Amino acid sequence: MKFNADEIASVIQAEIEKYESTIDVREVGTVLEVGDGIARVYGLSNIMSGEMVEFPSGVRGLAFNLEENSVGVTILGDYLEIEEGDEVKALGRLLSVPVGDAVLGRVLDPLGNPLDGKGPVATTETRPVEFIAPGIAGRQPVREPLQTGIKAIDAMTPIGRGQRELIIGDRKTGKTTIAIDTIINQKHSGVKCFYVAIGQKESSVANTIKVLEEHGAMDYTTVILSGASSPAPLQYVAPYAGTSMAEYFMYNGGHALIIYDDLSKQAAAYRELSLLMRRPPGREAFPGDVFYCHSRLLERSAKLSKELGGGSLTSLPIIETLEGEVSAYIPTNVISITDGQIYLQPDLFFKGIRPAMNVGISVSRVGGAAQVKAMKDKQVAGGLRLALAAFRELEAFAQLGTDLDAATQSRLDRGYRMVEILKQPQFQPLEVVDQVMIIFAANSGALDEVPINRVQAFEKEFLQFMRDVKATIRKDIADKKDLSPELKNTLTEAINQFKASFVKHVSK
Amino acid sequence: MPNPRKKSDSHDAGRQHLGTVYAKALLGAAEKAGQADQVVDELDSLVADVLDNQPRVDAILTSPRLTHEERLPILNKAFGGKLSPTLMTFLKVVSKHGRLDSLRAIARAARKQLNTIRGRVEVLVETAYPLSNPIRDRITARLSELLHRQVILTTRINEELLGGLVVRVGDTVYDASLAASLKRMQQVTLEHTKQTIRDSIERFAMPT
Repeated sequence: MKFNADEIASVIQAEIEKYESTIDVREVGTVLEVGDGIARVYGLSNIMSGEMVEFPSGVRGLAFNLEENSVGVTILGDYLEIEEGDEVKALGRLLSVPVGDAVLGRVLDPLGNPLDGKGPVATTETRPVEFIAPGIAGRQPVREPLQTGIKAIDAMTPIGRGQRELIIGDRKTGKTTIAIDTIINQKHSGVKCFYVAIGQKESSVANTIKVLEEHGAMDYTTVILSGASSPAPLQYVAPYAGTSMAEYFMYNGGHALIIYDDLSKQAAAYRELSLLMRRPPGREAFPGDVFYCHSRLLERSAKLSKELGGGSLTSLPIIETLEGEVSAYIPTNVISITDGQIYLQPDLFFKGIRPAMNVGISVSRVGGAAQVKAMKDKQVAGGLRLALAAFRELEAFAQLGTDLDAATQSRLDRGYRMVEILKQPQFQPLEVVDQVMIIFAANSGALDEVPINRVQAFEKEFLQFMRDVKATIRKDIADKKDLSPELKNTLTEAINQFKASFVKHVSK
Repeated sequence: MPNPRKKSDSHDAGRQHLGTVYAKALLGAAEKAGQADQVVDELDSLVADVLDNQPRVDAILTSPRLTHEERLPILNKAFGGKLSPTLMTFLKVVSKHGRLDSLRAIARAARKQLNTIRGRVEVLVETAYPLSNPIRDRITARLSELLHRQVILTTRINEELLGGLVVRVGDTVYDASLAASLKRMQQVTLEHTKQTIRDSIERFAMPT
């Protein structure tokens, strides 16, 4: 497209004609020293903590430390252009980011600048990056489910909208995969998704974005990226910036999901900043307020009361542990802040149990209230956690090699099949009705005669069968979200019918 | 182009703080003797006329190789009888604490504190062209009226401003220069034009 230069010139002329000159009043200071993403500034005597400042190169900063003789400023951008003696201008406002529908489908940096080359973010609305979480009067308990589409999670550690559920585990245990699956599963739920990548390799973030695009998930997702090469101040503000963008939907009555991947790196960035600012180090050299840093962030996830529109912000913070050490400082902090955790273990992962969730120590403290009734049923996921725990104990016992009686053996067989059912390939979230049907089938013993290596084939074909042949039952469960005794009967009949044909097919 | 302000404004926050403390003590003692203005004038002249003009005197005073005992006779010989007794004693105290290297910071802080006590305020006015005396007086009078304090005006010429003037009072800058105004006009115009184009893109399309 070609632009008409005359038309543009006329607009500029009109702008100049109506421009009114005003005296620019500003509070200034002088850079004393600069380096490693921070600057010490002399002057700025009336600045407030958290206020934005501007350097001559146009780079913004945040007043972080107010000392007797100087102000410690974190530099949000390229600090190599700043020199000693530069004039620093106080802007008199707080750091804020663009919000609104325009941010969806974009890849942004923590200040809201586009990184995806798709042009400027077309919105005029902004929100402050630091925002006080809603108080008790503005909240209500979680009651709607947020379906992750992962059988193991939706069945045993259900997540409600407005909940904070921690995903914790060593490196390479599938933490990000759970988050991505959850985003992909929000395609038809209307939940807006925000993926905050902190201190990650840009190549893995590029991969993540590619996966999201392939599954059509970028239409409702924003990626806030502060990669491993970004300076510490940007990594530190990234989760707050992402939360501001997500909060916009919550306060407008919508639902949003935010993933912080991961908060251990953010804590490390905050530690770096604090040490450079000479704040006293505490345990593991983290500053004393690193707990507050995470608690004020996660408190902003909430289920708002009806008066405030009933919107919600669900968060899935991710923490990477070292050698399974959950009692380190940051993991214990975040475990105590969140409403439960999904614990992933490398040994399970390498055994092929993926998601590698350790059922015994993974919990969801509030999500049960939001779980769909059909899933909560005793014959579906109601007793699953305890049954699996009993199975693990039995399995350990069976490894001793003693002869087992038939009853014990059958409980073991059921357990092996249940573990097999809970395995799920990545990027293939299941609808909750499918999850209910297959777990019900496994619980009713329909798979006991199926060889373990055929269990996944059974699942796949069974769900296909229910979709194609018994669509009315499937629809009934999906609509009612509850299993009445009659529905259970018809479902059992359908399962038996499929089982007969499947066993015949297998034995052939 | 190197910024001429940089050298004079390069601060050492620690020394600055030190200067504030010593200056406060000096002013307290001098006020008691009723000669604060005189002492501060003398201190300023000591810094400007002696230390700045005679780097070797500066070197001797600040040398860490000399002990206080060795420095005392030098001080007495050099300044005895020429400075008021309060300032002389003060110099000896500063020497005893090994802080003679902070004398410039002390002088600056003392001047500033005295100004505050006397209800005066230092204002720096930057202009693109030299100010004539009547204009200077008018600016001083107007600023005194606005700030409700007696104004000590310093002027500086900065050709980059193009026109207008920039007034600095402490950390606050009132920028009424032509350069800043033009820059702001550019920003506002660009922003608004961009917005207009984005809002109605078809209006700007070249008819094909």
